[in-house]
Amino acid sequence: MVTLADLKISEVKLSEEHVGKWGMVIDQDICTGCQACVAACAMENNIPFVGEEDSGYGRSMHWIRIERFWEGEYPEVKMTPNQPMLCQQCGSAPCEPVCPAFATVHSQAEKLNLQVYNRCIGTRYCANNCPYQVRSFNWRDYERPEPLPNQLNPDVTVRRRGIMEKCTFCIQRILNAQDKAKAEGREIMDGEFTTACAQACPANAITFGRMDDPESLVSQLAKRSHGVKHLEELGTLPNVTYFKGG
Amino acid sequence: MFKRIFEWLIQPLGLIAVGIALLALFSLAAYGLYATQQPPEQPIQFPHQTHIAFGIQCLYCHPGAAKGPSAGIPSSAKCWACHNQIAKTQTSALLAPLKQAVESGAPIEWVPVAIVPDFVQFNHRAHVAAGQNCENCHGDMTKVTVAQNPQVFNMGWCLNCHVKSADDDQEKLVKLSDCGTCHY
Repeated sequence: MVTLADLKISEVKLSEEHVGKWGMVIDQDICTGCQACVAACAMENNIPFVGEEDSGYGRSMHWIRIERFWEGEYPEVKMTPNQPMLCQQCGSAPCEPVCPAFATVHSQAEKLNLQVYNRCIGTRYCANNCPYQVRSFNWRDYERPEPLPNQLNPDVTVRRRGIMEKCTFCIQRILNAQDKAKAEGREIMDGEFTTACAQACPANAITFGRMDDPESLVSQLAKRSHGVKHLEELGTLPNVTYFKGG
Repeated sequence: MFKRIFEWLIQPLGLIAVGIALLALFSLAAYGLYATQQPPEQPIQFPHQTHIAFGIQCLYCHPGAAKGPSAGIPSSAKCWACHNQIAKTQTSALLAPLKQAVESGAPIEWVPVAIVPDFVQFNHRAHVAAGQNCENCHGDMTKVTVAQNPQVFNMGWCLNCHVKSADDDQEKLVKLSDCGTCHY
């Protein structure tokens, strides 16, 4: 019979052995909470502007958000470092097995959590099962007044109403870089491209790259001892490492 | 009330009416499907076969296919580079819109024929680099005037070729059948 202790051991083993393909390191100590990543992500990924009213209903759409927490009781409150929260691209994602339409699937090639928009039927089960609360749902076809449609990124699908969406680790940039590297007959170099959030970060708090390459900056950083993975105890095998109080 | 309608429907006249209604619906659907597969109306009845007969390569007018995601439709300046040296251009009724476009500087509004939905990210370069020829997807252009689709561009058709070209290479099969390769 399998006991709980056995399961825990296998889980620990799994997380120790787990190395994703693409990974991110976020240094909360140097994050200023300026929201440049939030804006850059919205621009890169055609994220609609929800507006005041729907935001009030809790329908705001962001693929990355800056979380702020407080410690202590008023008046002795202390703010903890800003915490950019985005899809952790879990190696064992809780959102995936619950989708009845197989719209959120694990990419075997890129080791990412995909959201296939044309398959999504909008049950929102995945968002309810995400421990990081990073998925957002298109409650409406939000208006894009002129000249905003000219700013849409042609490499990213413009999602319709009734579709779940989330951070893709800028898969369009990953595939573009792969395509370019292949055309030039070489491998992708570390730091050749990065995600929109990392590119926009003025403090360089976000680092993105290959996790399975021991030479890459991101995998070197992720090895540092004060790196923390959020809600790792759930066995989600996240691919984003956070530094706090280093 | 429903019982009376049902009773009327199962008598011979009712059955015939149901049959006619179904037939009308089916033919409407069939026509709708047929209509989606017709080449759209173009501003110029561009004769692909004539241009190919002169020995012009596909990539001369659509050079984007070898370089990037979009093959591109040539600007009127590119057409004019050859056509202003051809006397017939000045008199031909077929070429009048081209002459007009060049003189006024307004673009010719070609209608794309081979299109995929917005949620499909297609890259020509990767396909050309993998050794696919234009005619494998776009059909034999030596036989058509305005471009038309030789087949329906649906996912089954794409995936069929992807799986076939991966052959026994497991890594290639994983990449070519991954959702994230085309949908993001």
